[in-house]
Amino acid sequence: MAGKLFVRRRDGRVEVRVNDTGRMMLREFFVHVVAGERDGEHEWHVALNAPINPSSDVDDPLSTLARQSDIASNAELSLMTSNAQFLSDAEAWAWLSTLQVALRSTAIVHGILSDEKLETCPPEVLEEIRTMQQFLFDLSACF
Amino acid sequence: MPASVCDTGEMTSVKPLLASSTESDVETSVGIVTERPWNVIVWNDPVTPMTVVVVVFRRIFGYSNNKCTQLMLTVHHEGRAVVWSGQRERAEAYCVKLQVSGLQATVEQDA
Repeated sequence: MAGKLFVRRRDGRVEVRVNDTGRMMLREFFVHVVAGERDGEHEWHVALNAPINPSSDVDDPLSTLARQSDIASNAELSLMTSNAQFLSDAEAWAWLSTLQVALRSTAIVHGILSDEKLETCPPEVLEEIRTMQQFLFDLSACF
Repeated sequence: MPASVCDTGEMTSVKPLLASSTESDVETSVGIVTERPWNVIVWNDPVTPMTVVVVVFRRIFGYSNNKCTQLMLTVHHEGRAVVWSGQRERAEAYCVKLQVSGLQATVEQDA
């Protein structure tokens, strides 16, 4: 994948210049976030439900609900637009948020909580993380 | 009467207020109960690109690019940064927005 993967156009839309392989990867990340939010048994579910107030035994249910619905909404919007060539600002932001959620969930489930752990993680995990980071680098440059 | 806390998006600290009144020649002090502000904390992690942290701060808080970069560097070098202080409800709402954007964020009451 050469060149920028995402480009902000003059009309405000974000052009997606990702090839078919890249789109398949993105779609897979989005699917995992949707599944992780909906399925309590999914390996990402715990990572998606970090405490808001660690000093309290139970988080405010309204805050928790807001988070769950927002994460799911972003991931669903990302999934729905995963084949689009041009994204609106809101759609591009949903992609960025969902990708970032996927990145951190991947790191958490593999116990990558420090730079040392990142350097010593299995090559296939590191490659997946680097791929997500590359998408995020280019997409964040549009904001 | 609770003292108002800054709700403008700026980081603030709230100090107890003292109101004094004089009655005859005796001065008394009346302590006013104040609520300590709630801090929104963003924590460092080894995978999140720095550029993502900056754009998330800018999008959610509307801070300047310089301020977002400074906060991001504080997170990176010190492991955490207080990115907003104020009322609990708004702190939790900001925390949720940060978590929805994939950053590790929590709230805690100012010490």
